Parts: sequence; structure tokens; C-alpha cells
Amino acid sequence: MSAASMRLGGGHTALDDHDDKSRQAQRRADTWMISGALFLGTAILGFIGLPLYLRGLSIQSQAERQGLSVRPVIVTLIGYLVIIDAALNSFGWALDMIAHHTLVARVFLTTWGAMFDGGYFWHYNELWIGGATAPGEKSWEIALLPVVFCMRLAAAIGFLQMKRWGQQWLVVTCWFGVVAWTGYVANMTIFADVRYAHVAFPVWGWWLYDIFYITPFLAIPYLHSVNREIFSE
Amino acid sequence: MNNQTISEHDRRRKRALIAFQIVFYGYLLTMFLTQMYMYSQRDW
Repeated sequence: MSAASMRLGGGHTALDDHDDKSRQAQRRADTWMISGALFLGTAILGFIGLPLYLRGLSIQSQAERQGLSVRPVIVTLIGYLVIIDAALNSFGWALDMIAHHTLVARVFLTTWGAMFDGGYFWHYNELWIGGATAPGEKSWEIALLPVVFCMRLAAAIGFLQMKRWGQQWLVVTCWFGVVAWTGYVANMTIFADVRYAHVAFPVWGWWLYDIFYITPFLAIPYLHSVNREIFSE
Repeated sequence: MNNQTISEHDRRRKRALIAFQIVFYGYLLTMFLTQMYMYSQRDW
């Protein structure tokens, strides 16, 4: 008789028991990590989100060490990284596009601009649409907000649920990201005189801050070489 | 498709992904260095 078919009473097998415990552990870990990601995605409240997220990650690692069948850590890290990245870009740019006169946008976006990117500081709120006045910035916001970042958010949720469509769409949107960053960085270089003039930390400060947004491309080799059978239809 | 063809296919795919990483991160580094050069030349 195999372990899987051993009866524990009430028709419940050892395999069912293992499955239940695994699901509970994953759900508990995800509750912490989702709460953390929500705070981290707002940027301003990120300091609250990080400990919550790390607590969830630790619960999941503990469950894995106990032999429970939880999601692979690399999938968890990539999925949440993409969610946080997409949320940060979506909230930040949505604020700049449609809520640029609010106190939160005028304080935080222009402060960020004064430190790293003059496009978000000089002549802020002087265009007929949105806050930032850097050349081309609004076009990027209109193109990338609905097409790339919202789609990436949906893809990452499917990826965390270990769905095949999630993995496939994450591959697609990661390549969208390559196009977006190639163009955006070229724009930063072409209009460098506008964006870096008289800011507190020109060039290196911007790169230090933005490298976090660029890193999701490190997932491309993994997404292309992962065994697709671990994702379900 | 036999195993040998699959492994050859995988090998080529990995090589292409490495080449892509080198090209893309090389491009980013070039842009960064260009901006640093401009920073050294201008009164920012």
C-alpha cells in the first residue's frame, strides 16, 4: 500500500492531507506577500510593505523546508517583483497624468524630480496635460501605462497562480519592457540637458534609482528556459 | 524530435539569450557612460 492511499479516516488520504497543508501554507504566505506588495506598489508607503512581504516569503520558505508543495521561490520572486514594478509605474504615471494637481503629486513627484530628473521638476504642471514637461514623457505615459504595465500586472498574477497563460504573457510583456526601456533610456540621453540640469543627483542618481525597474529583464532567460510543464492550463 | 535535436535546440536558445543579455545591457551601459560623459562636460 502506498503512502498516498493510506487512509487517515473519513476518506481523507495522506496525499489529500499534504495537499491541504500545502494550500494553507501557500495561502498564508500569499496573504502576507500580497499585503506587502500593495504597500510597496504605492512607493510612498513602501517602508510598511517590505517587512510584510519578507514575512510572507519566510513563511513560504519554511513550508518548503517542511516538504510541503508550495510555489517555487524563483516564481514567487519574479511574480511579485513584476507586480511591484508594474504597480509603481502605473500609480506614479497615473498620478502624473490625471492627478498632477493633487498635493501628493505636487510634493512627491516634484521632490523626486528635484533630486533625479528635472523633467519632473522644471515647469511642472505647465503643459496642457499632466504634470511632467520632459519632451516625450507624456507619449511614454500614454503608450506604456495601459499597454505594458496593466498587462504586466495581469500576467504576473496569472504567473503566480502557476497558469500557462501567465507564463506566456509574462514573456510577451518582458519583451515589451525591452522595447520600452530601449526607447526611454534613449530619450533620457537625447534630452539629457533638460532632464539633468540643476538636479541634486544628475545621471548616477537616476540610474541608481531606476536600475530596480530595469532588473525585471533578468527574468527573460528564466522564462524562456523554464520547464513549461510546471504551469497548468 | 529526438533528444539530441532538443538539446541542440536548447543549447542554441541559451546562446541566443546570453547574446541578447550582452547586447541589451551593453546598450544600457553605453547610454549611462554617454550621460556621464555629458555630465563631465556640462554645467549641470
